Amino acid sequence: MYSIALKMLIGDRGKYLGIIMGLTFASLLITQQSSIFTGLMTRTYGTITDLSQPDIWVMDPKVQFIDDVKPLQDTELFRIRSIEGVKWAVPLYKGLLKARLADGNYQICNVLGLDDATLIGGPPFMIEGTLSDLRQQDSIIVNDVGARTRLAKPPKVRGGKPEPLKIGDTLEINDHRAVVVGICRVSRTFQSQPVIFTTYTRATTFAPRERKLLSFVLVKARPDENLQALCERIRRRTGLAAYTAQAFKDLTYNYFMKYTGIPINFGIAVALGFIIGTAIAGQTFYNFTLENMRYFGTLKAMGATNYVLLRMILLQALLVGVLGYGLGVGGAAVFGYTLGGTALSFRLTKDLLIFSGSAISLICVLSALISIRKVMRLEPALVFKG
Amino acid sequence: MNGKDQDTAVLCRSVTKAYVTGPTKVMALRGVDLEVRMGELLMLAGPSGCGKTTLISVVAGILDHDEGECLVFQEDLRAMDQTRKTRFRGRNVGFVFQTYNLLPTLTAVENVSVPLLLSGHSRADAQSMAKEILVLVGLEERPHALPAQLSGGQQQRVAIARALVHRPRLIVCDEPTSALDADTGQKVMEVLRNTALAEDRAVIIVTHDNRIFNFADRIARMEDGRITSVESQVPH
Repeated sequence: MYSIALKMLIGDRGKYLGIIMGLTFASLLITQQSSIFTGLMTRTYGTITDLSQPDIWVMDPKVQFIDDVKPLQDTELFRIRSIEGVKWAVPLYKGLLKARLADGNYQICNVLGLDDATLIGGPPFMIEGTLSDLRQQDSIIVNDVGARTRLAKPPKVRGGKPEPLKIGDTLEINDHRAVVVGICRVSRTFQSQPVIFTTYTRATTFAPRERKLLSFVLVKARPDENLQALCERIRRRTGLAAYTAQAFKDLTYNYFMKYTGIPINFGIAVALGFIIGTAIAGQTFYNFTLENMRYFGTLKAMGATNYVLLRMILLQALLVGVLGYGLGVGGAAVFGYTLGGTALSFRLTKDLLIFSGSAISLICVLSALISIRKVMRLEPALVFKG
Repeated sequence: MNGKDQDTAVLCRSVTKAYVTGPTKVMALRGVDLEVRMGELLMLAGPSGCGKTTLISVVAGILDHDEGECLVFQEDLRAMDQTRKTRFRGRNVGFVFQTYNLLPTLTAVENVSVPLLLSGHSRADAQSMAKEILVLVGLEERPHALPAQLSGGQQQRVAIARALVHRPRLIVCDEPTSALDADTGQKVMEVLRNTALAEDRAVIIVTHDNRIFNFADRIARMEDGRITSVESQVPH
């Protein structure tokens, strides 16, 4: 009877394609919007992801997310180094500073100042130059996207393309000379400003004078040290906040979830995809069942039990569900792949595939339930009505 | 069970059925008595709305009657639960409908296979048996045609093949010739009488088409929910 169920469905081309289109649209919209949302949210903690060496981030207890810098006194670094279980602790400066470009314009940059001795916290991938080049005078490393776009030099000919910043070019950061010694690749950040790496001392020179300039202390735990216990020990001994890298990502993620409108905006788009998908697929599937009511009645009269009809309808729902889901997810993946090199934030994860799969399954179940209810209640005597 | 019981396919005693819609109650059957014997082709005739279709619906087990007794092969269908009744129909009853009710997306052979698939036959077995029965109704050359590619008469022959393929003991037909012209109707009735009727099977045909009365062994006339007369005749 399964082949009959499938032939009944596929034979009605218009409705068959209509249901698949509805489900494809829902799957595409749900997967695509969720992937953009995930990509965007991943960017909120891009800096933490890139700084993979430290186990623990120590900061002011009032810090709510990575860009919410509340500086500490430099002496906190030494207190932390003295705590049992700490293998090493290094300072990190993180701040938004104005860079003056060759054309006289100013650009806000995300400046990261790394420990002078170890350069821990450097970019994950160098395209040109090396991290140790930061030991040169006035040196900075710039991320490739920033070098190509916002920090690019004006075109040499009128109407031409801006020239990317190259090694040897100079910038002025807060009236201090800075020389580009390397180009790196980093994860895109939420605000997408150019990222500049330099040493901690140089970064504090670039920064406007303040009493406190230490943004974070990056801590590596001794081997076999329980990270949660070490965080708790640092908190107790210093009164500062200490998070594992993952906990700091979660803190940042939760801040953006709670205090920005991003989840609501994307949630509405996802809900819209779900509702429209349910409406189109459910309505078309229901119409398909209604138009086939005479044949379901005939099958019932000829000995098809409700259980057999139930399985037939579920199989039909399963077929359109799998096709719609596959096409939608495939479309979303092509979309993400095609626009991968642009500023689009797109991250299609295994969890998202499960999420959109569950949503499409729910749409199919809801659509099928309406039809099943109708068929279950169908009186086979209907077949003798003209 | 005595010999007479075994000769009886259907036995209705004082069967009543009312349709209730809100405050309106319409009596479709007002105490019907009817016996249909094995090996017999019985026609139910009468004007529209006299209860013919309601009566064969009750006899075929697709509609419950209100009062009285209706035994089909000595089984009281009203006493069965829905699933058992559905399975009983699947094994014992074949249907031929006025508008054929062939599944439009299935070929002739696939349509004929449906009762066999429902009773658990494999697809290959079902199609093989379906092809054999299509030969019997004269459609051996078009087994893979869709219903829309067949004429009305051919579609009705496919429907007859579908009603016979699983060897049911009772065939019920609702106006099988009313959608056909006179010649085609005659040919369909010939096929029906020649292929459907057997000693171990009974055929009930609801019709108001008096051109086909000559195919009946007996004609039961209905009026206003009652059987008013039953005439025996020698079929042509």
